[in-house]
Amino acid sequence: MTRQFKEILIKNLFALLAFVAVLVLGLIVVFLFREGLPLFRQISPGRFLFGTAWYPTYDPPEYGIWPLIVGSFTVTFFSCLIAVPLGVLSAVYISEIAPARLKNVLKSVIELLAGLPSVVLGFFGMVVIAPWLQETFDLPTGLNIVNASLMLAIMAIPTITSISEDALYAVPREFKEASYALGATKFETIARVIIPTALSGISTAVILGMARALGETMVVLMAAGGAAAVPESLFDSVRPMTASIAAEMGEAPFRSDHYHALFATGMVLFGITLAFNLIADAISNRFKETGSGTL
Amino acid sequence: MEKDMIVRAENVDFYYGSFQALTDVTMAFEKNRVTALIGPSGCGKSTLLRLLNRMNDLIDGARVEGEILFEGRNIYAPEVDPVEIRRRIGMVFQKPNPFPKSIFNNITFAPRLSGVHRKSDLEALVEESLRQAVLWDEVKDILDRSAMTLSGGQQQRLCIARALAMKPDIILMDEPTSALDPISTARIEELIDKLKQRYTIIIVTHNMQQAARVSEYTGFFYIGKLIEFGPTEKIFTNPSVKQTEDYITGRFG
Repeated sequence: MTRQFKEILIKNLFALLAFVAVLVLGLIVVFLFREGLPLFRQISPGRFLFGTAWYPTYDPPEYGIWPLIVGSFTVTFFSCLIAVPLGVLSAVYISEIAPARLKNVLKSVIELLAGLPSVVLGFFGMVVIAPWLQETFDLPTGLNIVNASLMLAIMAIPTITSISEDALYAVPREFKEASYALGATKFETIARVIIPTALSGISTAVILGMARALGETMVVLMAAGGAAAVPESLFDSVRPMTASIAAEMGEAPFRSDHYHALFATGMVLFGITLAFNLIADAISNRFKETGSGTL
Repeated sequence: MEKDMIVRAENVDFYYGSFQALTDVTMAFEKNRVTALIGPSGCGKSTLLRLLNRMNDLIDGARVEGEILFEGRNIYAPEVDPVEIRRRIGMVFQKPNPFPKSIFNNITFAPRLSGVHRKSDLEALVEESLRQAVLWDEVKDILDRSAMTLSGGQQQRLCIARALAMKPDIILMDEPTSALDPISTARIEELIDKLKQRYTIIIVTHNMQQAARVSEYTGFFYIGKLIEFGPTEKIFTNPSVKQTEDYITGRFG
């Protein structure tokens, strides 16, 4: 076998494997749309997206996923409210302030946190947080927005921290030196040079963290309470899109309207996460063009 | 005989961990003069430069012995705030390192830190600093543009302007032209000549012609020691130490 032939063989083998991976993902998307689109023969997309009643098993059934969309965004929003400051600030601490030894310990702890199975967090929310919330605030149920947001925040923090930390680490040493040489303190250097320079990377981290929270299923299934209604307070239960799909798919008869409605919900979720990823991508591309201080 | 010496190093030893980078360096820098530090790579000249504004504080395991007196006060005394020292002693680095901000915001970085916030004051400072760094005419219409869009030579003059905006007494330059082309280098050298009327300049350079062209005093370092220090003319025409002569004539280094 000549060397040239080997090269060609290897090149094609890699191309094939890459192509298979993309093809499989593509087919999943095709399948999602094939199973979801038939719903719109029954109801209009407008009524599906903005209908406020989700009664898939009633007669006649109602397939309005507005409460589910609101549920998803509410828990995502509140989890980010907790996870973004904690995640970004711990990244700043790890990358700029912590002594070398502590830095390594913290990094491994964050990685460990990322590896925590979501069912464990959901269970924790269910048996620890929920009773505590219920008693402390005298609520009918502790499975609500606050509970799910807390658990989702714990899930999103590792994503936000590790990507932000990479962005902070990539800030060239020259910028820090310039800042110190101009009489800036450590805090001023962090606030005025390091964070602004890493801002695009940090935004990417935040958006990917949000995408992670939005797509998370098990935690919200176990801790969000599951009420398919537009919430009125922080202590109301919600039923995010992911929880609805996971909970109902087993019971929905094959190729029934309910089944198609759940796939259509999946399409909506897919669209939203795709949008998040595209935004994150666009931001990090902009970062590449202007970020480095070369001649 | 005694001239106006703004900075003195007295018996300075410096260690990176267990490695001794400077041994018993004693020298004084005259006010409003340009002093060049020359010597082969790793001889300790940049280390000494960074000691003068306490930039070496940022390195873990760095240790200083001896005294560095700035206007008669030891800057390594425990009660001295390094931030205060760095505001009086500016620094320009080997590689131009403007912040990825607008030209305007690069210049106003240090003044804002020391509490200048009025827009008219900042604008005046920007113009003054850029004029001193002979960059004003080139950038006066693009102050809002990112400093990253400037050429390397312009970026380096911007960095000088940025240091000047802090109104320092001394400017330390660490091989400021080694990343620049000959034309930009010539402009920076002209600039140094102009700036010495108002500032004391200490410059580290690998380029011996540069040291001869811009400086009044030259110190030659070799393996962490100050081998010879004196008027530039004497060092370059009639050095008293053999090692200095060998280095300057290119026999080693």
